[in-house]
Amino acid sequence: MNSIVEIRQMSKCFGPTVALDSVDISARPGEILGLIGENGSGKSTATSIYAGMQLCDSGEMFFKGKPWKPSSMNDALLHGVGMIVQENGTVPGISVAENIFLGETKSFMKGPFVDRRRMCSEAQDALDRIGADHIRAEAVTASLDFQDRKLIEIARVMAKDPDVLVVDETTTALSQKGREIIYRIMEQMKQTGKTVIFISHDLDEIMEKCDRLTVLRDGKIIRTFEAEEFEENAVKAAMIGRELQGSYYRDDYDGSVPDEVVLRAEHLNLGNELVDLSLELHRGEIVGIGGLSHCGMHTLGKVLFGNITPASGSVEAEGKPVRNEAEAMKLNIGYVAKDRDTESLCLEASIRDNIAIAGLDRIAVNKHFILPANEKKYVQKQVDSLSIKCRDAEQYVSTLSGGNKQKVAFGKWIGRDSQILILDCPTRGVDIGVKQSMYQLMNQMKREGKSIVLISEEMAELIGMSDRILVMKDGSVKKELHRSSTLCEADVIEYMI
Amino acid sequence: MVKLKKNGRITSSALFSAAPILGLILLAAVFLLIAQIKDVNISYSLKNILNQSIITMVVATGAIYIYTLGAFDISLGASMCVSVLVGAMAYNRTGSLIVMLAVCVGCAVCISLISSVLASVFNLPVFVTTIAMLSLLNALVLVLIKVNGTGDVIQVPADAVRDINTPWFKLLVLILFTALCVLTFNYMKLGRQEKFLGGNPLCAELTGLSAKKLSIIGFAMAGLGVGLGAFLTITYAPTLSRNTAASVGMDVIIAIVFGGMPISGGARSKIWSAIIGSLSMTLLSQIMLMLNMNSGVSQMVKAVIFIAVVYVSMLSSKKNILPR
Amino acid sequence: MMKTLKKLFLLQLSVLMAVCLTACSGGKSGGSTEDPSAKTVKIGVLVSDTTSAEALAFRTYYKDYIQSVYNVEFMYSDELKDAAAEQSAIDNFIANNCQAIISFASADRPAQIEKCEAEGVYYAVATGTLPADQYEKYKSYEHYVGAIGPDLPTEYQAGYDMAKHYLDAGYTKFGLFTGASVYFTEMHIYRAAGMLAAMCDAGGGSYAGKTGMDIVGQIMADGGNVNPGKIGNIEINGVVAGYDFDDAWFGKLAAVANDPNVEVLMAVGSGQTAFAGFKPEGKKLGDIDCYTKESVELMESGTLDYLAGKFSASIGPAFAATLSAVYGKPIRDKDGNALALAQGYWVATSAEDAKKYYEVDSSTTNPAYTKDMLDTLIGASYDDFAKFVSAYSFEEIKK
Repeated sequence: MNSIVEIRQMSKCFGPTVALDSVDISARPGEILGLIGENGSGKSTATSIYAGMQLCDSGEMFFKGKPWKPSSMNDALLHGVGMIVQENGTVPGISVAENIFLGETKSFMKGPFVDRRRMCSEAQDALDRIGADHIRAEAVTASLDFQDRKLIEIARVMAKDPDVLVVDETTTALSQKGREIIYRIMEQMKQTGKTVIFISHDLDEIMEKCDRLTVLRDGKIIRTFEAEEFEENAVKAAMIGRELQGSYYRDDYDGSVPDEVVLRAEHLNLGNELVDLSLELHRGEIVGIGGLSHCGMHTLGKVLFGNITPASGSVEAEGKPVRNEAEAMKLNIGYVAKDRDTESLCLEASIRDNIAIAGLDRIAVNKHFILPANEKKYVQKQVDSLSIKCRDAEQYVSTLSGGNKQKVAFGKWIGRDSQILILDCPTRGVDIGVKQSMYQLMNQMKREGKSIVLISEEMAELIGMSDRILVMKDGSVKKELHRSSTLCEADVIEYMI
Repeated sequence: MVKLKKNGRITSSALFSAAPILGLILLAAVFLLIAQIKDVNISYSLKNILNQSIITMVVATGAIYIYTLGAFDISLGASMCVSVLVGAMAYNRTGSLIVMLAVCVGCAVCISLISSVLASVFNLPVFVTTIAMLSLLNALVLVLIKVNGTGDVIQVPADAVRDINTPWFKLLVLILFTALCVLTFNYMKLGRQEKFLGGNPLCAELTGLSAKKLSIIGFAMAGLGVGLGAFLTITYAPTLSRNTAASVGMDVIIAIVFGGMPISGGARSKIWSAIIGSLSMTLLSQIMLMLNMNSGVSQMVKAVIFIAVVYVSMLSSKKNILPR
Repeated sequence: MMKTLKKLFLLQLSVLMAVCLTACSGGKSGGSTEDPSAKTVKIGVLVSDTTSAEALAFRTYYKDYIQSVYNVEFMYSDELKDAAAEQSAIDNFIANNCQAIISFASADRPAQIEKCEAEGVYYAVATGTLPADQYEKYKSYEHYVGAIGPDLPTEYQAGYDMAKHYLDAGYTKFGLFTGASVYFTEMHIYRAAGMLAAMCDAGGGSYAGKTGMDIVGQIMADGGNVNPGKIGNIEINGVVAGYDFDDAWFGKLAAVANDPNVEVLMAVGSGQTAFAGFKPEGKKLGDIDCYTKESVELMESGTLDYLAGKFSASIGPAFAATLSAVYGKPIRDKDGNALALAQGYWVATSAEDAKKYYEVDSSTTNPAYTKDMLDTLIGASYDDFAKFVSAYSFEEIKK
């Protein structure tokens, strides 16, 4: 069968980093091609070049058999290649409709004015068509959450009815409903003879949805698996270049913890997001918090860190109140936010800046003075212990892969020896290699007597890592489940929905 | 453009970050060349460049603290004008230069603090409060001049400040203030926190940094620079009017951008940008003067170079997109 | 790489600073004692206004005429707004080896004179004169050439004459534009005072209890403001001041121009800009400004009917005195004092007059003061120089 997408000998460098090294990728009409690889393997780079986001250094591209050289993402989309990106791709200060028809205002002109009514009506149609009818086209984009903003991007791309759709690590940002929308779109495209290139770190998901699977590592194509060749360990081995050593999640089922409570929240209320919620975190305990995306668990994480003040109720650590972030940090609490790029890191700053910022009180001499040597030592320790892949600690975080960015976010808090860590979706968008190392790290911290609140939308992760799981629904804890070898995803989901 | 060299050799990003220094060196070379051709008194010229850039250097160095936060103070010139007038009035009352210095600095710091505290109290972008302050300060300038009652100027006797109107004294003020800023900006928690806050306010908040506190301290540092600039202005030209320091606000913005400071602030902010930018700007003005360009042409040349510098700095950040 | 660049920069900066500081302790650079006529004389010009018709006319005279007939080069400053800017501009001129400075800027004249004296650069005031106390202080300064132009009594008289022109014609209801009086610009205050004094004389009353020159003090005390009201049977029914150029300012001007109780609009300067655009037909407009193509057209159309204008070549004698000083022939009175000479306006009350004045005034080949005329001033005695300047009327010059 002829390929609709063809990439030949594509290479791309970013400074000293080789992102793509003579890569060949092809996708056929009516198939879903999976691209998988560790963070930094080059899958997003290859597809973003094909979708017109950036240029390659060398190589050729073909679309429907003809040479393909889009000048921009919009150009690519207008000619049939759409891409939904990993990062937030909407403009916050404008309406949903304006985001959906970004750059196309001209087609809605009525004399010198923009016909907003028609634009909103067509935007609403586009949202309805993908099943995101709960979003109003007139709404201001900034007022929507990450998932709905993602759905706007999907609606924008699908409004152009593309022949090729690239879905880049999008599903991890979405709740089950959002995922179902994407899966349905992918299936419809496949049925109508169109092509989907699907990038995901979720091996189960990608093996279930794709017809073929191309594995990249260090900017090179390692192997393409046909559907009948899909086998988890083989794919993992191809991805990381070795068999996964050691355990993935915790291999113990001992959920017992000391009696000492290090963090206590009592009767928290905050609109519909938190309803009379109380919890206790013990020393050396990992408490998992699961639920649907809007159940209030992400808000809970921020309340526990003092970032959001509850309408009523209190948070205490070591018997002292936590009312703001500074107090939380004084009490050795750390917080890794869900939205890594905007909340956990300063992208246009170096690894050094990002790691050191949370630990300035630890580095400072006489409380205020920062000696470069001390700072360098402090940061380098985290870079080494977390195996952050970088040129040096002066490298800008924006140039790191997702997994390495997440390691930096961890490094901020581990560096200052936080005794309590609140981790909101800590493995979102990271590959299995990094995931494994993070799980090992959490396990090690637990053994050191540190306590973790693990907020996650991944059931397997919660079950695999938590001593207790609090299942949240509509702002309150519906069920507390204890660590057990018999605990399965169905047990958790039962209380989530 | 060289894209990649190994073993620590030139990279394009190194060239981009060195551009302001290279620009200054280039301007200095052009200046010296034209000065030779045009029979210019070079030694006097160099003294003149120092004289003319030093007040901008001092004010811009303090203003780096504001720009680092990604904020913007439109009222710097008006604040300096008020400080100058109040400082002069204080001298005329007391006859003490020390009092004049203290009043200049105190007044400028207070004005800065009012802007930032108002922004904190009402939860407004600081830029908005500085617009309000601009109107307020302009009105205050008129009131001060009227109250003082000697026509349209307030004067400090020229003899009183003649002894300190020397390059040595100005240089000393610049060196001390720059040293303070370099110390606090590069070797203290404060600077790191300011840069991080400018780079990502949301993340800074979630890292326990108090935006309000840092903003107030940043503005206070800028106020200190304005106050010192006001003091030096009085020593340089002790006849003070409503137009005194009128161009300072714009000069500071241009100098900071010329010096390679990103307009959005953040981690790439550097104290040296103020020094390099101010010198570059003065050199450029001198070159255009030597070429006897009229002021309209000079302004246009400056505008074109300003846009070019901003464009190049944006180009350099665009080059770093999406490596993953 | 960065380290090397930083080192280079620091090295350069150090050299720069070192040279600066050496220069600071070094000797003077200007005021060479060699025969200056052999080489081009650089003259710096300090200006606080670069856009008005008057400023442009002066600039044209120097740059397009004088520079083409004398071996001189004029360097113009930017628009100088304050004393610090004036000091910087003087420094710039000295750095560029200017041997003399002619000043049209007055934020801090004493500081300008002191600086030029200290640096050995000749200094002249091109339009206007110094107040008496300042003249007393600086008249013996070696490098102070002097001041030639309308002195304050001349400004007062210009305002008086304009108002008298209309009062004599029987008009009694006035609207005024007092320009920079609110910025305490003396020239405008004296012109306004002159107008009010003429009204006092004609109307038989007083302005806030003051008449004649005393009105100047009253305006000063009122913060540079002239207040509407009655002077005897003369009415001042609207006053606008300042140069705000915002909607409110234009609104005030329009209101005064269109006030049915105003028959005559008088401006201390820029009246063509201020009132001409709003004035209904039939009302009179008088102004003290300069002769431009636009002013002639306004006179021809009847919009403007009285214009006391500085002629652009009026700054010629100041140049001649300056050049003479540079050539080593300073013009001094018998006591060795610098020039202080008053010069008045050309007054046009008809389009024909205005056209005639403009033709001469705008000529860059045959202006009011030609090279031949100015040559007679170089090395002239004080009395001859004064006689030349005092014969400033159009008829006298063109005799």
